[in-house]
Amino acid sequence: MKPLHVSETNANLLQSRTRRHFFADCGVGVGAMALGSLLADGNSAQANSEPLAPKQPHFAPRAKRVIFLFMAGGPSQLDLFERKPQLDALNGQRIPESFTAGKRFAFMDSSNGFNLLASKRTFAQYGECGAWVSDLLPHTAGIVDRLTFLKTCSADLFNHAPAKLFMNTGTGQFGRPCMGSWITYGLGSEATDLPGFVVLQSGPRGPRGGAVLWGSGGLPSSYQGVPFRNTGDPILNLSTADGIDTPSQRRVVDAVRALNEQRLAATGDAEIATRIAGYEMAFRMQTSAPELTDISGETSETLGLYGIQDPGESTYARNCLLARRLVERGVRFVQLYHTNWDHHGGPTENLETHLPQISREIDQASAGLILDLDRRGLLDDTIVVWGGEFGRTPMGETRESTGRNHHIDAFTMWFAGGGFRPGLTYGETDEFGFGPISGATHVRDVHATLLHQLGLDHHRLSIRSQGLDQRLTGVEPARVLHEMLT
Amino acid sequence: MAKRDTRCRLMAAEHTRLLALVMGLLLASDLYAADLDFNRDVQPILAANCLACHGFDAESREAGLRLDVAEAATSELDSGATAIVPGDPAASELISRIESDDADLVMPPPGSGHSLNAADKQILRDWIAAGAPFDQHWAFVAPVRGPLPSGEAAHPIDRFIGERLHAAGLDFAPQASAETLLRRVHLDLTGLPPTLTELDAFLAAWADDPDAAYEAAVDRLLASPHYGERLARWWLDMARYADSNGYSIDGPREIWAWRDWVIAALNDDMPFDQFTIEQLAGDLLPDATLSQKLATGFHRNTAINQEGGIDKEQFRIDSVFDRVATTGVVWLGLSIGCAQCHDHKFDPVSQRDYYQLFAFFNNQDEPNLALTAEALPFPETAPAEEKDKDGNIKPATTSLVLRERGEPRTTTVFVQGDFTRPADEVTPDTPAVLPALPRPDAEPAPATRLDLARWLVSPDNPLTSRVVVNRIWQRLFGRGLVETENDFGLMGTPPSHPELLDWLATEFMHRGWSLKDLHRLIVTSHTYRQASVETEALREADPANRLLSRQQRLRLDAEIVRDTGLTASGLLVPAVGGPPVFPPIPAGATALNQVKRDWKTSTGDNRYRRGLYTFLYRATPPPALSVFDAPPGITACTQRNRSNTPLQALALLNDEASVEMAKALAAIVESDGLEQAFRRCTARQPEPSELAVLTTLTPLEAARVLLNLDETITRE
Repeated sequence: MKPLHVSETNANLLQSRTRRHFFADCGVGVGAMALGSLLADGNSAQANSEPLAPKQPHFAPRAKRVIFLFMAGGPSQLDLFERKPQLDALNGQRIPESFTAGKRFAFMDSSNGFNLLASKRTFAQYGECGAWVSDLLPHTAGIVDRLTFLKTCSADLFNHAPAKLFMNTGTGQFGRPCMGSWITYGLGSEATDLPGFVVLQSGPRGPRGGAVLWGSGGLPSSYQGVPFRNTGDPILNLSTADGIDTPSQRRVVDAVRALNEQRLAATGDAEIATRIAGYEMAFRMQTSAPELTDISGETSETLGLYGIQDPGESTYARNCLLARRLVERGVRFVQLYHTNWDHHGGPTENLETHLPQISREIDQASAGLILDLDRRGLLDDTIVVWGGEFGRTPMGETRESTGRNHHIDAFTMWFAGGGFRPGLTYGETDEFGFGPISGATHVRDVHATLLHQLGLDHHRLSIRSQGLDQRLTGVEPARVLHEMLT
Repeated sequence: MAKRDTRCRLMAAEHTRLLALVMGLLLASDLYAADLDFNRDVQPILAANCLACHGFDAESREAGLRLDVAEAATSELDSGATAIVPGDPAASELISRIESDDADLVMPPPGSGHSLNAADKQILRDWIAAGAPFDQHWAFVAPVRGPLPSGEAAHPIDRFIGERLHAAGLDFAPQASAETLLRRVHLDLTGLPPTLTELDAFLAAWADDPDAAYEAAVDRLLASPHYGERLARWWLDMARYADSNGYSIDGPREIWAWRDWVIAALNDDMPFDQFTIEQLAGDLLPDATLSQKLATGFHRNTAINQEGGIDKEQFRIDSVFDRVATTGVVWLGLSIGCAQCHDHKFDPVSQRDYYQLFAFFNNQDEPNLALTAEALPFPETAPAEEKDKDGNIKPATTSLVLRERGEPRTTTVFVQGDFTRPADEVTPDTPAVLPALPRPDAEPAPATRLDLARWLVSPDNPLTSRVVVNRIWQRLFGRGLVETENDFGLMGTPPSHPELLDWLATEFMHRGWSLKDLHRLIVTSHTYRQASVETEALREADPANRLLSRQQRLRLDAEIVRDTGLTASGLLVPAVGGPPVFPPIPAGATALNQVKRDWKTSTGDNRYRRGLYTFLYRATPPPALSVFDAPPGITACTQRNRSNTPLQALALLNDEASVEMAKALAAIVESDGLEQAFRRCTARQPEPSELAVLTTLTPLEAARVLLNLDETITRE
């Protein structure tokens, strides 16, 4: 991993911000002369100073922050949003060879089937836009006029961990920066007491792939997602150890600062200034993170909006509320993972029992989040994204009960706020929902579009790492989906 | 899986600006002779701005023009124009295009993300006027050992560094203090700070004869068993070592015996050529020993996907891709992996070259090697053995290794890197741009991994020795002489001190590829021994320290942060080798992945082992290590990040392991006093102003402060 090439503009911004921060926010007791001279030069050591300070985007942004509701496992678009009478009519028949010739699927050697599976759900059109939604998502159905549907997203990889990486980093290779890292790298964060990129998790298990999904790859670790935990400290090592009280902790942090300042004066190394700021932020987080996760001050009406029954219970609904509280505090990128959408048809993951259950877990809270953001004036410049790493096949898998295999040719995502055109459905799939017939879209296009709304040009947001210039959208063509934007 | 995205196209506008900036600086300060040097001055401009469309990759080549080789660049094009007419800028289409005001004609085209500034254009014009001499890319020509620069310095390295410093009107910084120097060389060679006994003995010897004292300390450290541990960690990063299989299931695996093989080999100062051959092809050596077979674990550190529903062949091929890319970057310093889907955009590595390398790694089985206690590098670390029902001892340890298949697989080029689209068949061979594989027989059998390994470390190979000495330099100064230590190709940065790089590379080979000798050579130079203090004058004259007008303060690597705390607090259990251990980590830290992994915290000695031995799950790496940028072992890491974040502060302040160290150090504060505790952390005496701060605190508070100091986790 190598130092970043910070452009001159960014380096200057960084420096002016650093200077301002130190004088205004930190009150670090270094002589003004010494610090002034420290910050005056453009050496690369400066690149590490204040990595999360807000930065100017490439152009005027339409949105400032993102909440990504990641439906881990791959939700079935055919049982939630895609009404396909033809699929229902041909239930049990083999899908025409023309669809599947030359295609590869997960579980090719075992359970992958080629017979079409009708949806057991009932669909209706909702709102002024007339979007189709199944009976599994009544609350989502109630807000369709605020959503923008994308029916034709496609991906390259059909196994869970690589596909999750793909959705997050634009490649199935490990060790690349994820979307949240790119965005906090590009824009910094407005949160002074919290990390710029936070990950929240719910469901029976963690997402497959683990920490690499929010890893910063070749970007400094300052930009990696900080997972908030559901039990114990929300951030690892956030609590002061047993037997150490807050005044003692404060004395320690103050003394560390006093000695670090002396060393800064003796060595002239700007890294020490960054470390001093890091200790101050850490100390503030010890207060601000527990305050963030304490939702006892929220009204019962708000809790009801999200469908939170027990405020102490760790659920997707609680995480949606935390997401709102995080973006209120200036956090740039919040990602929620909810497992498990991998409905193959097995005894613990089928379309009959488990899809309705998980749909209930996310439906009201997702809709509640949109409504809550909207009434607080936050939706306008916050993008909410809903989707998984892929969708599911029109062909059924019949194990003990029914399910569907992983499918990457066309799956549904929805977006809200941040300049996405409300009520629009973009892209159309064929009679079985197998592939696009119009508006074919790729994960890279979604990436380019999200960056664009944040004022970032996906061509320009690049770093040199491992001998290569890397970008979220890679080297293949990617386009901003202007049709989906206001 | 469709295709692997290798992202080789470079949008290099930013890069160009930087290069121009650097070059402008160098030219302006007259560090170089006035003559243009193709590799140093011209090639980077072409690489950053022109070669994406006019380079090696025929498929993306525009207008039939390539600017990477002289003959093509100076030939008449189909259009009738000639890009470069040596000696005649005015007749050269290249000059009229880069100076054109016409948006349809100007090069690089608007919107390409590339642009040339006035200095770039002047360099190209001057170069063409001077006859447009092309040189072979410097890194593809074997290093030439030039004469030592003149000067008074006794140490060869100081001659090279001093020459450039003096030309810039600068001089070396004075030697660092005895305490700083001892702590520095301790941390660099063993990863452990000096104990007070070592420190006091050194200071006494230093008072007599500083040079002799220092040289004796260096010898002592190179002979220490902890040298192999420190250098092994450097190598494990490149080998992407971990104790689990990776991907979503990330089950534990047993390959620590290979890690111990590395430690032992480095402690024995196994020559780097042999070290290479045994790891890449130990199983193919005549009468291969168990140890040589064990060594092939290097390329078994690839991830294994245990997820359901996968195509096993796809992931086998992915691990071969990883082996090719890792071999390319670790030994050759080249982004060979870029040629997986298409010809390399910039470096003369064709897709065919890539699959010829791939063929070396396409013919192996992946067995487990059973190891009895005596076969382990450190037999005393063997887990207890059991006997089977016949009373025979069952080996308690296994390790992952490679073994050549009897029945070779056919290797083909894969269209777009997609294994479902095989194309032309290929046989094992090395890239055409590098010296050919020696094939003595008229009709030789297909080349093997052993041939490849020997070729990598043959004296004719222009890259390996340079790449290795550059990485050791990077270890000791924070930056390589070639800053892009993993890209010696056309897009890499040229060496800051090319003559020194070549001198070191040839010296390394002359000294029998001895890494200990190489370390001794570098750390005994004044360049290494000078102070790291950054004065305002130095910051102005040499802002990024490219001229090495001082040493560099470097935040310690993750494992060494831990080792330093354990040593300072007296808790360290310095045992070498053995199965990975489970020191305290925050509850739930391994529960973030699909499969929640147990973490049965070690008790007794294994609780206080060096960070190197902490069990590493790839998907959920130990937080106290990853927060300080320890790589998760997913791809070869040739240079660690050195981030500086609030989460590091939380780990050092609050982590259970940190608090345990602080309590132990607090007891030392009470028994031996603050000054001794301070010295255990920093090696130096505290200033009165520092003691004044510490004396206001309780012993535990003072101990926590000491373990949290920037200085404690920094090598100065």
